[in-house]
Amino acid sequence: MASGRDVREMLGLPGFDGPKTAPAAKRSKAAVPGKKIQGVAREVAALYGERPPPVAVYEEKKSYRAKRQSTGPAKKWVLQPFTNQARSDGLVLKHWRRKPTSLPTAQSGEDIAIDEPNSGENTDVYIEDSGEFLRYAVQPDMPTFSDEEYNMHLRSDDWSREETDYLFQMISDFAYRWPVVWDRYEYKPSSNSHLSTAQDVPDMENPLATMPYAPSKSRSVEDLKARFYDISAKLMKLRIPEVQMDADQYATYEILTKFDPVLERNRKNLAAALMNRNMDEVKEEEFLLAELQRINMAANRLDAEREELRSRLEAPVPNTQVSAGLASFTSSTALAQLFSQLFQQDRSKKRAAGGGGGGGAGPGRLSLSAADHLTNTPTSTSHGGALSGVNRRQSLAQPAIQTPVRHLSPNAELRYNVSTHERLTSGITFGADKLLKMRQAKSNVQTQKIGQALAQLGIADIISIPTARVGDAFESLITKVSKLLDVRKVREKEEGECRVLEAMKARRMSEIQGDDDDDDDDNRTRREIQDSQERESPSGNGEDDDDADADADADGDADGDVDVDAEGEEEEDEDAEGEDVESQMQQSTRQASEAMSTRATSTGHKRSASVLSQTSTKSNKRARK
Amino acid sequence: MNIPNSSTAPNAGEYAGDEVSAIVLDPGYSTTRAGFAGEDVPKSVCPSFYGQIDKDSSSHYLFGENAIHDPLGNLQIKNPWGSDGIVENWDTATKVWEYAITSRLTGSRPSHPAKNGLNDANTNGNGESVDVDMEGLENLENTEKPLGDSPLLMTEPGWNSVKAREKYIEIAMEEWGTPAFYVQKTGVLAAFASGKASGIVIDVGASHTSITPVLDGMVLRKGVQKSPLAGNFVSNQIRLIFKQAQPEIPLTPHYLVKSKTQVDAGTPAQATYRTYDIPPLDSFRRNEEERVLTEFKESVVEVWSGNGRFSNAANEEMAARLPGRPFEMPDGWNQLFGAERYRAAEGLFDAGAALHDADNPKPKDEHTIPRLIQAAVQQVDADQRPLLLSNIVVTGGSTLLYKFNERLNNELNVIYPSTRNKLIAPGPLVERKYAAWIGGSILASLGSFHQLWISRKEYEEHGTNIVEKRCR
Repeated sequence: MASGRDVREMLGLPGFDGPKTAPAAKRSKAAVPGKKIQGVAREVAALYGERPPPVAVYEEKKSYRAKRQSTGPAKKWVLQPFTNQARSDGLVLKHWRRKPTSLPTAQSGEDIAIDEPNSGENTDVYIEDSGEFLRYAVQPDMPTFSDEEYNMHLRSDDWSREETDYLFQMISDFAYRWPVVWDRYEYKPSSNSHLSTAQDVPDMENPLATMPYAPSKSRSVEDLKARFYDISAKLMKLRIPEVQMDADQYATYEILTKFDPVLERNRKNLAAALMNRNMDEVKEEEFLLAELQRINMAANRLDAEREELRSRLEAPVPNTQVSAGLASFTSSTALAQLFSQLFQQDRSKKRAAGGGGGGGAGPGRLSLSAADHLTNTPTSTSHGGALSGVNRRQSLAQPAIQTPVRHLSPNAELRYNVSTHERLTSGITFGADKLLKMRQAKSNVQTQKIGQALAQLGIADIISIPTARVGDAFESLITKVSKLLDVRKVREKEEGECRVLEAMKARRMSEIQGDDDDDDDDNRTRREIQDSQERESPSGNGEDDDDADADADADGDADGDVDVDAEGEEEEDEDAEGEDVESQMQQSTRQASEAMSTRATSTGHKRSASVLSQTSTKSNKRARK
Repeated sequence: MNIPNSSTAPNAGEYAGDEVSAIVLDPGYSTTRAGFAGEDVPKSVCPSFYGQIDKDSSSHYLFGENAIHDPLGNLQIKNPWGSDGIVENWDTATKVWEYAITSRLTGSRPSHPAKNGLNDANTNGNGESVDVDMEGLENLENTEKPLGDSPLLMTEPGWNSVKAREKYIEIAMEEWGTPAFYVQKTGVLAAFASGKASGIVIDVGASHTSITPVLDGMVLRKGVQKSPLAGNFVSNQIRLIFKQAQPEIPLTPHYLVKSKTQVDAGTPAQATYRTYDIPPLDSFRRNEEERVLTEFKESVVEVWSGNGRFSNAANEEMAARLPGRPFEMPDGWNQLFGAERYRAAEGLFDAGAALHDADNPKPKDEHTIPRLIQAAVQQVDADQRPLLLSNIVVTGGSTLLYKFNERLNNELNVIYPSTRNKLIAPGPLVERKYAAWIGGSILASLGSFHQLWISRKEYEEHGTNIVEKRCR
């Protein structure tokens, strides 16, 4: 049977090991499973069966214990006397060391004792000189001064020479451990200094240095430090003039000279006070800290939200284009872009001013102008995902400058269902949502009216396939409907005014006729007319409200809603006033004018015309009364 | 590869050790610990109490655990330590310490057979005792010194007087002939045993409680506080509890009981008692009673670790509801101890809650452990306080009282709520009881320590006051 191996053998290819080794390898392979799981107990291993365990079992190596090297007889150890190099008194202690053997090969590398091969013969005599721990025998580095230096520069009213020396000794003894120095500082002016003052003073020529009755005062750590640092700084200055100090030295010098014991003491008092607070204060602090953390977190969140909002809203006019000058607007496409951009800004500003309270609604509305959201342009997808909000806005505001955009022909766009956008909002919007939003106007009345109009046209509430083109069509429809509604509103207003004027005309006619009639009759008719007019006026006011609404909507001013309500209230008030103080004509007119002026300031200029007309009718009425 | 095992020496750089077979001696009021430096437990732990039998104008001394519990006639038990925590009786203290060293560590030196006393007629009638007859040794003039070639590291309490320290070195050099000597404070060594160079060491021993602030291996002397409220105080509190109980609880030590029979809880014991022709003296009985009390402390006494102090009425009620612990006296009398088991150790923390009578005056408030800690910390530089409080080393046999550390922790957090207070209490019993010795064992086996020894030469040159200069 010619297996692959045979073929390989015939061809002399590698991978063939010869017929003899292969079965051997096979056999050893079969033996492997038994060997493999040596680390586990036999019972556990039996549970595995033939399959290998799911988790690799590593054989526990027995390498943690070194093998005993039983080469030759046991090594001998001797109590080796040694002297410590760090000691000056030659104290001889004994420690255990391997007994040196004559064979250098058997020597252990660690053995320190075996410095000289001769030492093995007479260990009693040989004393090892151990410098092993010499490096631990360190002495603190202390500034030193001579007597002249002390007398010239270092004298202090508060410190005697003796005490200064004592201080230096203590610092040296305790290696600059100030708390320990202070703890052990028990300077007592030695009694022999009293006795020797008489001799010392002439020698030293310095009565202050050894004050005969130097007060044994308790010194604080700060006092000790101040004295020592002062001396150190002075000595340092003496040794190296300030100008010659290098950076490190000068830094040290500065630290030394700037030591302020008072400040240090105050700091320590504060630290002690901090430590000695009682439980309530600590709890309060913990509470306050938690509160602070909470506030910080909230502030951060708020900042982040604001930042996001700001980045979403339109930034101030991109100055890049302005600074670039008008040169960039030479081509017609650039001009068109500028126009659309300004238009967008205008729109979004209005939205921002109006719908700011709505939060997320602002950016959503911006998409109204954009033709579609579902179909992203290739360029925008390539950009949009990676760029942050601000960058994206900028890049989209000036695509012609930053990246050349390949425009598809209108046919191609239609064909591939691709649309280009002036600007994109972040996130995904549904076409259906967009359509729904278009249905909604600023005021509920308007929305209802739009809804009625659409219903009349037989358009369903939900449009089943809101494609981009359907959206466009619907948008144009909606704009038309709203225009029509505006027109209707204007018409109704005009009609109302006409009615009023006609009524006025009729009354005037009747007045002319009634001049001939008796006074009673005249009074009565006038009353009647007045009543009827009063009856009429609320409806007229109502109409005015509607007008105002319409105006507001047409302007797209969000303030409209609120202002209109306020206006209505004012008007009602006015009406009531008018009824109450019918007789006091002058006053009421004044009030009316006042109201008018306030209204004029409160409301926009755009509405002032209608308001003016409204008040003018009223003032006319009152004037007539 | 040379892997360390029991038969290879540790790497030299690994622990900077250089063992010179120094002996560490840690004398305490209750026990004296001695052993070779570098080992992890003291080989020789002997009671510091010694027996004394006065016999026709000369005194015979007995040392060691076996000897002092043997009810010999006219035996009295004494302790060389004074009430102020400093050795009072230097002669016997030296003997006790020497016994601790020679009984297990060095052995008595072989001397000339004619002089070693073995061939003398046994005159003192104590031939069956294995304990070393110090008197006999002393009488020989040419005895070899017991510490001929072992440097000695001794421990001393933080408040040890200059005179006492000088006496230490004098004993070590003159009487024991040590080639080098050093004395270190127990507080520092206990901190070393816990691996700390800085910290506050709270050592609640038998006779004294001490608080030792340690900074970089040096005791801050001004901060060292001690108080007599420690293990013996708790024992006395237990005695008072027994005395004030209705009916009074009898305290019979083991040596008086021949046999006992089982009785119900609270009923009088039915035991047969031993009588002695020449009874030991009262101090012996007291010492034996102390053993029973120690057992009681170990098995029954608990430190109140609940909210606030035990003396709060609510806490006492709560404690009464907790399950009690039974205890049986050597004579068979037994009872379940309820709330009163909390009372014994409460005095350590709350002076107002301590029982007192004519013999045992009311403890002072400033002697309680929380107040001691406060006083100790107050004496330390303000910058170091937080560091020290985050390394509070608890040591001493009496800190093994059940729930002691919990209570201590509570008290500390009440005093210092704003710092991070960390108790370091080694779990193993040996490490807690012999922390100072273990620290000494570490210190004396360090190669870098050998430059600090006071050598015989230096001692001879400067005299005893070298100890003040060198052992700071």
